[in-house]
Amino acid sequence: MSANLTVMAVALLVWGLVFVYLWRLERRIKDLERK
Amino acid sequence: MILRILLFLWLAAGMVAGFTWAPVVPVLGNTTRVFYFHFPAAIVTTIAFGWSMVHSALYLARRDLGHDDHAAGAAELGLLFCIVATISGSLWARAMWGAYWNWDPRETSIFFLFLIYAAYLALRAAIDGTERRARLAAIYSCVAFVAVPFLIFVVPRIYFSLHPDPLLGQRGKPDIDPRIMLVATWMLAGVTALFVWLLSLRVRLGRIERARQEF
Amino acid sequence: MPGERSSSVGAVWAILIKECRGEWRTRYGLNSALLFAVTTLTAVSFVVGRIGERTDILAALLWIVLMFAALASLAHTFVREVEGHTLTLLRMIASPTSIALGKLIFNLLFLGVLEAVTVPLFLVLMGGPPLHWARFLEVLGLGSLALAAAATLVGAVIAQTRGRGALFAAVSLPILLPVMAGAVSGTRGQWNGVPVDAELRLLAAYAAALLGMSLVLYDHLWED
Repeated sequence: MSANLTVMAVALLVWGLVFVYLWRLERRIKDLERK
Repeated sequence: MILRILLFLWLAAGMVAGFTWAPVVPVLGNTTRVFYFHFPAAIVTTIAFGWSMVHSALYLARRDLGHDDHAAGAAELGLLFCIVATISGSLWARAMWGAYWNWDPRETSIFFLFLIYAAYLALRAAIDGTERRARLAAIYSCVAFVAVPFLIFVVPRIYFSLHPDPLLGQRGKPDIDPRIMLVATWMLAGVTALFVWLLSLRVRLGRIERARQEF
Repeated sequence: MPGERSSSVGAVWAILIKECRGEWRTRYGLNSALLFAVTTLTAVSFVVGRIGERTDILAALLWIVLMFAALASLAHTFVREVEGHTLTLLRMIASPTSIALGKLIFNLLFLGVLEAVTVPLFLVLMGGPPLHWARFLEVLGLGSLALAAAATLVGAVIAQTRGRGALFAAVSLPILLPVMAGAVSGTRGQWNGVPVDAELRLLAAYAAALLGMSLVLYDHLWED
């Protein structure tokens, strides 16, 4: 069961990192669009 | 803004539900949980490649470079999701069938799809000139459109006779627990939204790039 | 309309004749394809020896040899035009569809010659059970038709890329995988004396779909 939760934690962590990356990417694209 | 955060919470909730709330299929045990990543990725792969083809045909008909951005972006993202679906499926196959790869019909068709779109992107990289690249890539995409139904529906049947499938048909049969189906559908909705977001970023980048070039 | 039609048939014919003459003069494409096929065949035969009983391996080897020999040279009809800067001239006298159709028929003839040499040589070197000729020729013919249709269209596209022929095999192969699967399975089936109707239907439908799609797309091939 704890192995299961470990995998879940890893999955959530990866998703969080991907999300932060995309968030920042979109902000940069918005900056470019404004120019 | 709100939508992005909602998407984050949506997918996170789906993962937590998949790992804690949904039951497991008796034979499969904890490998059931791969399903929540594998199934959305596979479906979104299909959606992405279909989207790419539609926009390739639209480009040939209308000659609007926006369609080319959609076609290229969807192909790139489709390849990405295809990799996720293949790897997750392969891990599951290792756990259940004992081998990462055994040319099961599903594995065969997804691998061929991967090859087609890898070739599509290789072709794009080799063509100079925006409009020429868009036109020739769209032509290739339309030819590939002939191959895809054959790869998905016909070839697996021929290979079936070559390699009798070891065991276990497809999941998603009606006798599956409704909670599993709910989480899978939930994840599918979330991953599709993620795909739309990613595609919009790619299309906007393409537009900026072209504006820069004209400038 | 009938006049236009007959003139475009004339154009297709003219392109075909021109291609044949050009090929006959240099025999560059055919020689390299034949040498490629014979070399591969010799290498395969030398390495694996006679495997008369293994029809599955025989069928796969035969089609691998044929397909790669074809892919090594089929793009050449368009690449030659682009490199010789003759395509512009060609486009002034004929529509894209006539040009592509002429080249498609030429590629079919080319494949026919290639197969007429390679297949008997393969049978002599590799052995194998007696052929069921009618079925075998049907599989071979339909397979070649699909191969030529895909190769002509992709060849015309690839001739306009930076590397010219370099990507041709890599880009055509995914489209030809269904042909490979059907043709190999059909060839094995006729050796084993099993009916091959399903494979023939697959090959025919695929060839027809490729040809139909080609006819729509030829118009977009050259615009700049």
